[in-house]
Formats: sequence, C-alpha cells, structure tokens
Amino acid sequence: MKQGFWRDLFLALLIFIALAFLPTGLRQFFGKASVSYVSLAIAALSLATLALSWDILVRTGQLSLAHAAFYGAGAYSTAILLKLTSAPLWLGTLVAGLVAVLLALALGWVTLRLHGIYFAIATLSFSEVLKAVVHKLPTAIAGGAAGINVEPLFRPTFIAGQMERWEIAYLRNERYFYVFLALLALAVILSLIIQHSRLRYAFSALRTNEAVARVMGIQPARYKLLAFVMSSWVVGMLGAVSAHRLGSVNPDESFSVFVTVLALVTPIFGGLYSTLGPIIGALGLSSVEELLKRSFSDGYLIGYGIVLVLSVLFMPKGILGLFTQFRKHLNKEEPSS
Amino acid sequence: MKASPRNNSLSLGVFILDYDPMLSTTLILQALISGILASGLYALVSVGLALAIGVIGIVNFAHGELFMVGAFLAYQLFVYFGFDPLVSLLPVALMLFILGIIVYQSSIRFVLKAPELNQMLLTFGVSIILQNLALLIWGGDPRSISQVPYRSFGFQLGDISIGAVPLISFSISVLLVGLLYYLLLKTSLGKAMRAVAQNRTGAALVGLEVNRIYLIAFGLSAALAGLGGVMIAVIQSPSPTVGFAFTLKAFAIVVLAGLGNIRGILWASLLVALAESLVATLVPDGDAIRNAVFFAIIFAVLIFRSRREGGM
Repeated sequence: MKQGFWRDLFLALLIFIALAFLPTGLRQFFGKASVSYVSLAIAALSLATLALSWDILVRTGQLSLAHAAFYGAGAYSTAILLKLTSAPLWLGTLVAGLVAVLLALALGWVTLRLHGIYFAIATLSFSEVLKAVVHKLPTAIAGGAAGINVEPLFRPTFIAGQMERWEIAYLRNERYFYVFLALLALAVILSLIIQHSRLRYAFSALRTNEAVARVMGIQPARYKLLAFVMSSWVVGMLGAVSAHRLGSVNPDESFSVFVTVLALVTPIFGGLYSTLGPIIGALGLSSVEELLKRSFSDGYLIGYGIVLVLSVLFMPKGILGLFTQFRKHLNKEEPSS
Repeated sequence: MKASPRNNSLSLGVFILDYDPMLSTTLILQALISGILASGLYALVSVGLALAIGVIGIVNFAHGELFMVGAFLAYQLFVYFGFDPLVSLLPVALMLFILGIIVYQSSIRFVLKAPELNQMLLTFGVSIILQNLALLIWGGDPRSISQVPYRSFGFQLGDISIGAVPLISFSISVLLVGLLYYLLLKTSLGKAMRAVAQNRTGAALVGLEVNRIYLIAFGLSAALAGLGGVMIAVIQSPSPTVGFAFTLKAFAIVVLAGLGNIRGILWASLLVALAESLVATLVPDGDAIRNAVFFAIIFAVLIFRSRREGGM
C-alpha cells in the first residue's frame, strides 16, 4: 500500500465519523422533521453505495446491467432465509452478500469473453431471467408475484410518557442510517484498496485494451472476477438491508431495472473511475430529485431528465471532472505557484 | 398480441404435447402463426434502432419512448379527428421524423464523439423527459384505439384463427422494413448512409455531408419507431411507460443480430417472437415468463457465440 492509501483512508474515516453525528444533529435542529431528513440521508447513502459498487466493476471495462440481479438476489436471500429458518436477523444480510457473490462469479465467468454492448445486454438478460425465475419459484418459498414480508432489523420499543410518537420512527431511521453508513464505508474501503494498489493498473489496462493488458501479463479472468466479487458483495448486502427496511420483497421491485439504471447514471453524473465521483453523484442526484419533488409535485422527473441531458452536454466527465478542469484552469492562471 | 387459448388441465410446467394430439397440433400452429405475425413489429422497431446505432453510432435509449410517442399521437389523432390508425400512419411518421430531428439537433449531435456511457446517459435523460411529458399529458392509464371496425375481424383456417389486426400490422411492418432495405441498398441516400456508417472521415472526404445524413438517419429511425407505435396502439393498450420495455427488446434483437447487420434483424425478431409465442401458449401460465424466454434466448446466443468465436 502506498502512502496515499493511508491518507485517503484517514480522510474517509474523518468524514464518516462526522457523518455519524448527522442524525443526532438533525434531531437537535429539526425535531420531528428530522425523521424525513434522516430518511433522505439513508436514500443518499444507499444510492452512493450502489453507485460506488457499480463503479468498481466498470473500472475493468465491464459495463454491467446486472446490478438489479445482485440487489434482488440479496433481498430475496435474507427474506427466504428468515422465512424458512429461525436464523438470527443479521445472518440474513451476510448470506445475502454470499449469494450475490456466487451469482456474480457464475455470471462473470460465462460473460468473460463478452465486451461493450454485448456484455451489457447479456448481463441485462441475466437480470431479467433471474427475475422471472424468482417469480416462478414455489409460492411456499418465494411467494410468487406477491413476494414475502421481511422482518425489520430494528424494533425500538415505545416507552409511554418518556418519548413522543415520532421518536420511534426517528430511532428506527437512526439505526438504519448507521447500517447503511457501514455499507458505504465498506464500499469506500474496497474502492480505496483498488485505487491505491496494483489492482488499479490492472483494471485500467483491462478497460483500455484487453489484448494489450494480456500481453503485459494481466490475466483478464482473475481481475474481472475479482471486480465482480467485490461489487456484488456490497450490492447483495445493500439489497438485503433495503429489504429489511422496506418490510417486503417482490420480484418486480426487488429486480427492477431502475436499480441498474440508477447504479450507472449516478457514477457517470458524479465522475467515473474514482471513489469520490459516485458519492458526489449520489449526493447531487438525490438532492436534485428532492428539490424538484418539492417544487413540482407533478412531472418533476422531467426536470430530472433535463438535468441529466444538460450534465452530459456541459460536464461530460461528471461533477468531479468539472473540479479537475477548474483546478487546471487555476494552475494555468498562476504558473509561478 | 393477445394471449392464445391456454390449456389449464396441467398444472406443472410440462408441455401438453402428450395430452391431446389434435388440440396440441392446432395450438402449436396457432402459436407459430401468432409468433410470425408478432415478429413484424419487433423487426420494425429494431430496424429503426439499428439505423441509429449502425449509421450514427449512437446508443439510443430513448428509442422506445419515440415508439410510445407514436402510439399516443395516433391515439390523439383518433380521439380528435377520428383518424383511423391506418390513416394516422403517414402524419405520425412525419411528426416523429420532425421530433427525431429536434432531439438530434438539440442534444445528440453534441455527443457523437463522446464515450458510449455518456451517450447512454444523454439518451436516457431524453427518454425520462419524453416519458414524463407523456405522463403529464395523458396520465398513467393505458390507452387503446379499440374502436376500429376491423379489430374484431379475422378468418379461420381450419381450427386456426388469424386476427385482422396482427395480420395488417405484420404486412405493414414487412412492407416498411422492405422499403428501408430498398432505400439502403438502391438509392443514393442509402448508399451515402452506408458509406457514412463504414467510414465517417472517408465519406466526408468524398464530399458527403455527414451531418445531414446523420440528421436524416435519426429522423428516419424515429419515424420507424413511431410507425411501430401506431400499431401497438391498436394491438395492445399502451401506457406512457411502455417504451422502456421495447427499448430493451429492440436492443436485445439488434445485439442478437450483430451490430450493423440489418438483415440479421429479421431472423432475430422471428426467433424471439416465435419463442415467446410458443412458450406463452404451450407452458401453463406461460404469459408470465414470456419476457424471461425472450431474454434467456438472447443470453444463451450471446454466450454461445462468444465461446465459439473467441470473443466479441
């Protein structure tokens, strides 16, 4: 590990520690309204985790449209495990990560020789087929089209007289906030390890030109599968935790193609092939969406579409690219410094 | 694309071939014919997308939304003026051509040389805009032009019934795809398009106006999508969210055919439409897994081809 790794890890740690105080801070300032603010923060964390994990995979040049499959598989793993056995709640999420990894290994292995749009369509097809398979599993196991109810991870107890009604919702949200924060931290650590080790060169060589990478002694299979494993592990657990929070899973929502779409739109918006880019993208997109939702109740998504179009036209390298451009511009102005 | 009569005496996923030979032969024939008829529309929509990908090199995620806009324009023309969908074909094609030109001029021409991912994000933005505009205007309910006189027509060939609507839609699709082939192969515009598709710089060097050809190709691609939309407005009851599924399917068909291979689209459409229709008919509760079959075939073909040819 290079020096840069420990510096970045330290910075990330500081940011995460600061974030850990966010729910309490919001509660102090906004009281009852903090419940929905913490919900928003959770949505942003979840989007950031999804985006960062997708970015890890695309760093090897694999434009995956299968993230809905890993997300849904994770959600269903925990749901089915807890329905059929009396396993402890936390085990479901761990198993979900494992199931997603196994699926990813299988998918990654058969699609090794596919590239670009062919790879994209194959992974998309995989996701759609998996959705149908879950749909057709015996109802006693997967609940068919209606899905299964999932127990929440947390049930804060209400103490009459000592707390108000909304505080229950707040406490629940607060705990989920920490779980989602931990998942994002995991994704960040994985991403930093890649960015600050030799993996980074292997990944970008594979992305730029696989034939040349092979000549340089990089085994495509090993690194592509490694990226698949890291990415799907995080997404599988994310799917599981989200299922606990939502309280139910069903094929159409858990395997919704929009999970995949969000997973790819966010990093492009923020800046690809970096740790910070997808996170900034998630922050940006979830704030834009929330602002638009508040200003126009109907058709606010039109504004969302316009933001996407404008961002591609005017900042093709994402928000992060805008910053680097700005810094270069500054450096040009003052060559002496 | 109405569901064909389905045998419900078997509850397991077993083909009914061993049940009643007469009935199952009829069913299979019926499914084959519905599949062939459905393939026309798939080919029409996919050929439009292939034009955008092949000539312009743009991965257009808004293709299905152009298709949806075509469907709703036909619906609106029917409601306002009582236009029969057959009459609407021409005006809708024109309007979609213009819409395509607007989309191209306002956004797509700026990302021609951008990375594929950025093009996808841009056209995805366009698709969100179109879909939500349609939701604002028409609401989320499915709409259909069901009052056309020939909707209930059909004729019987023995035990097999063929509806007028699927037959007409198939014939028109085949005609349109044929016209496109003629355009590409025999006319100077088509030759110019193929030249630009092969080598942009070379085409510009011999004096072709590349940007104008892109513009026309994209307009044409949008018009083809719109024409498909007119037909879906009679065949099904589309809602403003119908587009995305068709984008995915058209993409899958184009990829199955192989990028740039427009002739392969006919075979690819036929293959997936037949498979869909056979499964929907022969497998109990097959309608639910229709989409899965579609994607399973594409997955299998892609994997098989990549193993055989050593990479794509």
